[in-house]
Amino acid sequence: MKKNTKAFKRLEKWEGTLANCIRCGYCFEHCPLFKYTGWESDSPRAKIITAFGLLSGEIDPSESAAHKMFSCFYCKRCEAACSSGVKLTEVFTDAKKDLLELGFNGPGTTSTTQMNCARCLICVGACPHEARFYHEGRGVVVDPAKCKGCGICIEVCPAGAAKIQNSFGTGRKELMDRASIFMATHKSAKAIVFACNWSYYPDLQASTLPDTETRDKSYEILVNLCGGRLERQLLMAPFLYNAWGVMVAVCPDDKCEHNGNLRAKELVEDLRHTLKSIRIDPERLRLVQIPAGDKGKFQAEIDTFVDRLNTLGPIR
Amino acid sequence: MDLVNATGSSKRGFSMKTIDEEKLRAIVGEANIKTDPSDLYIYGSDSSVHHAMPWAVVRPKTTAQVQAVLRYANEALIPVIARGGGSGMCGQTVPVMGGIILDMKGMNKILEINLADVYCRVEPGVVDDDLNLALKPHGMFFPPTPASSRIATIGGEIANNASGVRSVKYGATRDAVLGMKVVLPNGDLVNLGTRTRVEASGYQLHKLMVGSEGTLGIVVEATLSFVPIPEFRCMGIANFNTLKDAGDAISSIMASGAIPSMLELVDDVAIKAVNKTMNLGLKEVAAALIFEADGMVREAVDYEINKMKAICQKHNGEDIYASYDPKERDKIFLGRKSLFPALSKYDDNLASTALADDMAVPYSKMAEMAGKIHEIADKYGIVMTAYGHCGSGCMHTKILMDTKRKDQWESARKAITEVYDYVRSVNGTTSAEHGIGLSKAESFKIEKADSLHLLSLIKKAVDPNNILNPGKLSQAPEDWVTATNLRYSVNS
Repeated sequence: MKKNTKAFKRLEKWEGTLANCIRCGYCFEHCPLFKYTGWESDSPRAKIITAFGLLSGEIDPSESAAHKMFSCFYCKRCEAACSSGVKLTEVFTDAKKDLLELGFNGPGTTSTTQMNCARCLICVGACPHEARFYHEGRGVVVDPAKCKGCGICIEVCPAGAAKIQNSFGTGRKELMDRASIFMATHKSAKAIVFACNWSYYPDLQASTLPDTETRDKSYEILVNLCGGRLERQLLMAPFLYNAWGVMVAVCPDDKCEHNGNLRAKELVEDLRHTLKSIRIDPERLRLVQIPAGDKGKFQAEIDTFVDRLNTLGPIR
Repeated sequence: MDLVNATGSSKRGFSMKTIDEEKLRAIVGEANIKTDPSDLYIYGSDSSVHHAMPWAVVRPKTTAQVQAVLRYANEALIPVIARGGGSGMCGQTVPVMGGIILDMKGMNKILEINLADVYCRVEPGVVDDDLNLALKPHGMFFPPTPASSRIATIGGEIANNASGVRSVKYGATRDAVLGMKVVLPNGDLVNLGTRTRVEASGYQLHKLMVGSEGTLGIVVEATLSFVPIPEFRCMGIANFNTLKDAGDAISSIMASGAIPSMLELVDDVAIKAVNKTMNLGLKEVAAALIFEADGMVREAVDYEINKMKAICQKHNGEDIYASYDPKERDKIFLGRKSLFPALSKYDDNLASTALADDMAVPYSKMAEMAGKIHEIADKYGIVMTAYGHCGSGCMHTKILMDTKRKDQWESARKAITEVYDYVRSVNGTTSAEHGIGLSKAESFKIEKADSLHLLSLIKKAVDPNNILNPGKLSQAPEDWVTATNLRYSVNS
């Protein structure tokens, strides 16, 4: 078999690992991208297969192959679930570096619209992964190999210049639409729960539960990636769709890789004051901290919140 | 290689030139078709050792779309391969002759849960665990439960007649399928089976569809029975110093009339692998049996467990222990549960391959089979384990080998042939729960030699143009190593 080791010199060291992946596909259910699109080609296993194809020369480097490799939020749930102990994201990062050298990039990482960028450099300081830097001639640029797609830069950018082309259902508009659809289509709908993908969410459900005519439920969990990406408009939107309450779940204080939990905490505190000022019980907006994998606590917090909402009743 | 010609069922080969992407786009919509080579490459793999490129991947959302795709493919003579979670271990969904992959995960609705009549109706793309999640609030579960239930779809389970650890008590998928709607190769939709528990109304064609590996029709809806979740579950373990003692215990338990809800064998290679990679500190004995009973009444569960404990003791079992406590049960099952990852991490230079992975033999031959596997592995310088759902006669192995070395593939080929020769010599069967696909065709054809002609007549009657998953089962080439590209880098 011909090997493309010249072009993929970083990937080469993973050759044994690519064979050791038994391709069981148990990573699917943990991947927010796969859950969102439903295409196997967006799953972690697909990236491993793509890496093997690129290294072995069975597929050529292309925009489409790069697109797959760069579309990852580094939540690392696939790694935690991997039967074979494959360090998937390390493979992805090396593949990304090789692809970048070959001139291929992908839309899964953030970028900067230079025309809108005021060069304030807030995003450079806010990026927890040192992926953003200022370049004299090119302005604020992103190293796509370092960018983990957490999107903190998007939320801190005052000019709306920081962007991510494909947020796989976790962008503000997509989340608002899904909250709106849930509230409109479920008789018992009461709460929207925004949940951080980095910690416990994937443990809660086996996979995306298909909607059925027989299934009604009182709350919907929406993956918002890091709590640091939550913003005012998004947290208030469910109330406009007649939600009785909104819950925000983030990692414990010292556990967030992106320091987003602290930003979320401040935001929720602030919004609770706003709710109070317009005579809405601030208890209808609640922030909880859940340790990684503690689905019992997560479920208990949701149940307690929904119980409380039942006592409070709908907003008049 | 023209596999269709090789079987004599058609003189015609398939050609990629024949595919009309625009036609497919018009049927399923732009958002539900993939034709880029990097996407096709991904859909050419499953959990087996095989790889082959499809020509297009389409994701139908409705029965009408499945019908339209099949009408088109039948007319244009294009292979169609239905695909669920892609967790198959024998290459069932690998498009060995190219064609259209029908990604059935797009049809994933639970249509009805009928508690009064104890059945549910589901689309084929529903994931097993999701169905169980929906049944759980009603105190019910869908019993086949293969290990891959977190990604395996109901359609895939039907196609392979999947089963799992609890099949010893609750049966395989075939036992839980009451009826189904199937799209035939010419696009016609037929209702097979019934919604009642029993049926004696002629041929049970829905049962024929179960295990047909996508070669006869595309299931677009299945009516399944379900059972109550037991109130009590008790799990036990017994260690044995010889494989023979463990084998005798298995046979005695099954012959005693005991009704285990699980009866698993783990051999010494497996125990060592788990200890080596997970540091679990399990006692390194020749074999361990894990047994479980469940039921609605504790006394009844006690009765079954005590019976199994006594039989293990009689056959020199040691460290016999059982518990109802979920944490203790998890501890007992940890060795078995950790086996899959442990084998993958056994040695950085050895990959765990899905080969000769799920034969079934009569109970009395389980221990001998395990011994035979060890003997064959030693002979060919590869690592093989023996473990499995011995309560249903199913023995799993994994072959650990250096996949880069061509000679290891040759050794694996010879070892597998010998394993299957033994299986057939004791009236066992090639596959208990993973199906035949490509990698088990050689043994399958020898085992079913008497009925191969009958099988090909059925196939020809239902699918005269041979468009549904061609090149599989009895049409698959004998030599699985060269049947497709291997999905590993093999040095020449």
